[in-house]
Order: sequence, then structure tokens, then C-alpha cells
Amino acid sequence: MSARYGMVIDLDRCAGCGACMVACAAENNVPPASPRATPRTGLTPMLVRKVSNGMEGTARREAFIPITCMHCGNETPCVSVCPQQAVEVDKSTGIVMQMPQRCLGCRYCMAACPYHARYFNWWDPAWPVGMEKSLNPEVAVRMRGVVEKCNLCHARLHSAKEKAAAAGRKEIDHADYIPACVEACPTGAILFGDLSDESDPVFSAAHFPNAFRLLARLGTEPNVYYKSEQAWVRALAERDTERATEGKHV
Amino acid sequence: MKVSRRDLLIGSAGATAGLLLTPVPWKLLGDVSIWTQNFPWIPQPVHGPVETKYSVCTLCDGGCGIRVRMAANCPVGVAGVSSHPLTKGALCPLAFAAHQLNWHPRRLREVRHAGRAASWAEAQAAFEKACVEGPIAIVDGRPGRAVSSVFEAFTRKHNGSYRVVLSAESQALAPYAAWSGVPVTSLGYDLENARTVVSFGAPVLDGWGTPGRFTRLWSERAAGAADPQLRLIQIEPSLSRTAARAWRWVPVREGSEAELAAGVARVLLEEHLVTPQGPMPQLSLAEAAAQAGLTTEAIRNLARTMVENRPVVVIAADGNPAIAALNVLLGAVAAPGGIVRKRRRVQSHIPADPVPGRLRAVLVDSTVPWEFAAPTDAEVFRFAAWDGGGNGAGWLLPAPGFLEELTDVPTSPTSALETYAVALNLAVPPTEVQSAAQFLLQIDPTLPTGEKVIHAHCEEIFRARQGTVYGEHPIAVTKLDSAQHLEEQLRKGAVWMGDPQSAGKFRCELKEWPMENCVSHASSWARAWAPPVFPPLATKLYQESNLREPPAGRQA
Repeated sequence: MSARYGMVIDLDRCAGCGACMVACAAENNVPPASPRATPRTGLTPMLVRKVSNGMEGTARREAFIPITCMHCGNETPCVSVCPQQAVEVDKSTGIVMQMPQRCLGCRYCMAACPYHARYFNWWDPAWPVGMEKSLNPEVAVRMRGVVEKCNLCHARLHSAKEKAAAAGRKEIDHADYIPACVEACPTGAILFGDLSDESDPVFSAAHFPNAFRLLARLGTEPNVYYKSEQAWVRALAERDTERATEGKHV
Repeated sequence: MKVSRRDLLIGSAGATAGLLLTPVPWKLLGDVSIWTQNFPWIPQPVHGPVETKYSVCTLCDGGCGIRVRMAANCPVGVAGVSSHPLTKGALCPLAFAAHQLNWHPRRLREVRHAGRAASWAEAQAAFEKACVEGPIAIVDGRPGRAVSSVFEAFTRKHNGSYRVVLSAESQALAPYAAWSGVPVTSLGYDLENARTVVSFGAPVLDGWGTPGRFTRLWSERAAGAADPQLRLIQIEPSLSRTAARAWRWVPVREGSEAELAAGVARVLLEEHLVTPQGPMPQLSLAEAAAQAGLTTEAIRNLARTMVENRPVVVIAADGNPAIAALNVLLGAVAAPGGIVRKRRRVQSHIPADPVPGRLRAVLVDSTVPWEFAAPTDAEVFRFAAWDGGGNGAGWLLPAPGFLEELTDVPTSPTSALETYAVALNLAVPPTEVQSAAQFLLQIDPTLPTGEKVIHAHCEEIFRARQGTVYGEHPIAVTKLDSAQHLEEQLRKGAVWMGDPQSAGKFRCELKEWPMENCVSHASSWARAWAPPVFPPLATKLYQESNLREPPAGRQA
């Protein structure tokens, strides 16, 4: 099996509800916020940011940009800086994998990631008493001191592979592998699939005239595409992502 | 051979360098990393057989279909159901972590009386005594359920009164009920056939009604299109989440929605944009514009845009009659794409506010919003799964939490069609809980049980031979062989939906233009969420990101 899994996120459909964020956290056993956590120190492998066109009054327009690991396909910045080989690209899927067992918590990868899509686990994962019974048994809980990020719900890919193997198939059924954020999106704004398969709807969506990638000029070939009819939203793609997503741009 | 200090240093440096060339330090480093990932105090998921069950969310009255992943008989994941006729797989963001609510630190775990621990027997004895001593009232937050029948039967037998607390969405339909005589629970919005939706502050893309119903419609027919099939016009003072995604946003001055509605009505009538179906507002267009903080031209444009693409329906955030009157004027009442009647036979309910005076006791069901405070000196028996804090109820009684109770889910307040579903008790409560109906049944065992009422309702639907059951595959009720078969389907998570009723069977008559000083409050995202607490993972939405403002009065 060889695929290049990726997403096309239609920003004109994103209503900014945050369902993808909560579904992602629930699926991947991400703990609730420590009382001391802030937007800088939080743990949000899927993060929806509010952006604006910088105008005020009736001319103001806002949009929501879900930011997750871009699963860069070329010169993946986090892979080359990791001293522990805790990050690697799975060539059969295109998924940039993070292995918390190998991670030393040096955070070089966080500094290298141009999309700020990696998060450091500042606190021991903790749930209110008894709530551990509600954790997803297919995903291990990560320890304090490691870096976390989106792995395209790799546990779901494993389940799909197991199901295919049980049925005697070599290829997974694409309907069996849908990441939690894609499944949760109430407006269907996130399209997921194999970007290398021309028959996959995600392939044609990625080649849509108004499709773009964040910071494409860096040449990292992200596997997460965005789409918008609004010129001001597209213009954000090549700007300083951090400033723009904090709404400080003009 | 004499070993000098220099030799020792050279030897040490060489040994260190040599060691780095062996796998030992790296293996050690790796092992330490793995070991530190497995500290015994790190919570581990519970392992056991994994299965999927289908049910209905009961945390608000939206009635969304849910797919629950269970491991070792515990819910470990919640997702939407794509075959659900209303939500089509969409859920509100909080539902995805709803399975964690049952272990929330504010879960009510014991009976409390006046702030002290008490027992179920004491609570029961106190309520029985109250029933003997004087009139009682039972307040219900979601009328039409099987347990509502238990409440009504109990109040009939024990000299009591049955009262309801309506949701904001139901209250927004109250003016039509007052003008037409049709009970408010029998009305709904036919959004599927509307082409223009004008929302006066209702968060239609942010949890309003059945979350997901309008969001799906908007996504399919409007999102991103310059000239969409479904036009959403949001009238709201600030650029809310809904306003940001609307086709047009009209920034009205806060609290002047009624004046803007009057201004729009005046334009509609003066420019003959509608068939006159109502009285002319007294407010002039210039006055309306001045109060709404808009220009007269903006109001004219708004009125013209509203009728450009019909059917049009106006949605208010609450029961502001001036906004409701616009639908009468636009001919959107009892018409496709407007306000429709979803049920023929339904009884009207008496609102809980005000509670009648001289009551001995008030029993408040767990579906009643935590903020509801019975304005009475009577002894209050408050059922709740979570303690919202600051409630002065005399008795606090732990009720079943999320998916801990078998209950039926009647039609959502905003739905255009009648629906019926059953939510199973999939989770085991962490403490001894009782629903209000179970509590009453212990006092009076002659009452019909909730299960019996569900059987009877299924019989009724089966006998009427209309509608469709949406499970894995839709099945018409006429193709089912028995009421038991229907109930089995519902218990597997299917939802029954009635056939469209013929509209036009009721009329709203306006004698004069309503101009009550009723301020529309834009709903916050937390308002539609019934429990007084949030799932802890909701912190992702506001504490660990800047996506949303912190929910006032709710603790995650």
C-alpha cells in the first residue's frame, strides 16, 4: 500500500465551532487543560484560529483556519532536527509520525516547524477521578516532557488495516479510515483522502484554482491544503503565519 | 609505569569518546525515555471488548443522533450518525466529549438537604409529607417525554400542577402560539424549504435548535457562494460566529431589534412588497433607523433583499413579538419554508414562571436549566446530575447523567416534522441515582412507568401507519410488522420521523403591530447547553486557544 494522505480544508465552510478540536482531543486521549495552561502552553493538535481582514465596523470580515500538522512531504523540518529520530515520515502513507517513547523533549522540532503545529506536554496528563474509564483504549496516554502533534489519527489507520487483514484484503477501505476531526466537522469543511490517487475527491479539491498551502514558498510540500474564494484569506497563506493568525496583520 | 595526572585525563577523555561510539549510551537514553513514558501514576485506558451502539443525545432538547463507542461497557467516544434525518452526522462541539461528563468533579454523588448529606429515604419521606400537607408543583424542562406523562399523572392524583420551562427556541415561537392558538410545542421552522433565513441574533450556525441541522443546510446550499441558494442574513450588534459566516450581516444597535423589525415592516407595506396581512407599525422609518443605528436606505435594502428570494423566514433569538410579526407580514406563517405546524394533536402546557402561590413543595426535574429558580417559598426538591453551584434548593437529588437512563426523546422545538427516538442507558452511574420519575414511582407505584408510556407511544405511531424509521436503512412504518418491531428499531438508535403535515391549517391574526419593549439577547454558545457544567475537554476551545470566549457560569 502506498498513499499520500492529506486534507483539503474549505475555509469558506468552516464555521469555527471547534468540534474538530474537541473530537481530536477525545480521540487521542489528550488531557484537559491544566489550570495553568494558556493558549501558548496548551495541547491542541488541531487548533482553529480566528483571523480577520484587519478592518473595523461593517467592513470587518472574519474567517477560521484550522491548523494542524501539515505533514510536510519535502525536507520535513521537524524530521531533520530531531536528535532522537522520534519523528519520521512514513513513506507508505506520507504521515509524519511522532514517537513519544523516543522523544527527549528538546523541542528542536517545535522551533523548526514553520506552522507552530507542535505542542510540548508541560504537565502530567491528568483527568478527574474515574474519567480515565472514558479514554480511548486504542491510543496510549503520553507522558509529560514530550512533544505532541497530529498523526492523522494513526490508531484509526491501524484499525482499518486490521479490518482489511481480517477480511483478507491488502488495501484498506477508505471509508474505514477517517480522522476524528474530519468525521466531526458539521459543515463537511475538511476533505480527507489520498492525494496521490487521481480518482480521490481530495485530489481534485487540492488542484482547485483557489486551493493553496500555507507558506508554500518554503518548499516543504505540506499535505494539508486550504481552499477559499476570498482573496484576503488566500493572501494570508504567504504571510507570517503567527502574526496573521493572531489577527495582528493588516 | 607511573600514571601521571595527564595520563588519567587523557584516559578518561578517550574512554568517554569511545563510549559514545558504542550503542550503550543511546540504548540507555532510549530505555530511560520509554521508562519515563510508563510511570504508574499515568492514567491508562481501560481495555475490554469494543463495540458500537447508537443512541440519541439527551443533553439538550435537540435530539441529535449519536454513535457511541463502548469499551468494557463504558462509553469511550461519541460521534454523529450520518443517517440521522435532521443532523446528518453533525453534532455540537461539546457532544464529542460528553461521555466524560459522568465523571465530572461536580457530579452530584449524594442526596443533600440544606447543604448537608441526607438519604433517599429522608427525601422520599419529606416529599410524601409535603404531598399530604398541601399542593405541590412539578416543573419539567422537556415536555412530551414518557416521564412527562408520569409527572402529569402524579400531579393529577396528588392535587398538584404540572409546569414547564421552555427553551429559548420554544419561547421564540410563543408569539405565534398566542396569535393562532396552536400550542407552542406544535410549531417549528421549515428551514429545509426556505431560501432566505433572516436571523435576529439567533446563533443559527452556533448551536441553535438541533445543532447541525441548519449548519448542514448552510454548508450544502450557502457556504462560500456569492449568490447562494440559501441566503442567511444575520442581524446582530456584533460580528458573531454566525454573522461572520452569513451572506449579509446587519449590525444593529443592541436592544433595537424591535424597532428595526418595525422599520422593515413599514417598508414592506409602503412599497407593497407583501400582500397586506398586518397592521402598519406606528414607528416611522426615520425613527426606526435612528434607533437601530442604521440609515433608512439600509433598512429599505434589507426589506427588499428579504423578499427577493422567497420563501423567507425570520428567526428571533427569543420571544420578541415584533420580530415574530414580520413572519406574519411576509406570509411565512403556515407556509412552506416558514413557520409550520408539525403536530395536530398536542396539548399546551402552563409555563413554570410564575409558579402558583401557596405551594407546599416544588419538584424540579433534571432537564430544567440550573439557572431556574422557583419563585416560591415552597420546599424545593431539585433533581440534577451535576451541581452548578449557588442553588438554594432545599433538596438536591442526584439524577442520571449522560446515557445513564432509558428515556424517550420527543420532537426538537425547532423541527418542522415530528420525530421520536429512544435513548438507552448505556453507562453505569458512578453513584446511586434516581430520576424524578423513579422517585415519584416509589411514592406512588400505581403510576404508569416510563417504559410503559414508551410502549404506548410506539403502539400509537404504529397504528397511525405514517412516517419513516431512520436506522441503518430508512424503513416506512407501513413496512414494519408490529409495534414491537418499531420499538426494537428505536432502541437500536433509529429515529422515527413523521410525514410532512399539510401547512395552512392555522392562522395568525395581528390586530395591531406589537411594539413591546422586549430586548433580544443574542445567545452565547453556552446557552443552548443544558447541563450546568462543561466536559473538561471544552477547555481546548477557550483556555488552550483563543477560539471562543470563556462560558459564563459554566465550569469545565
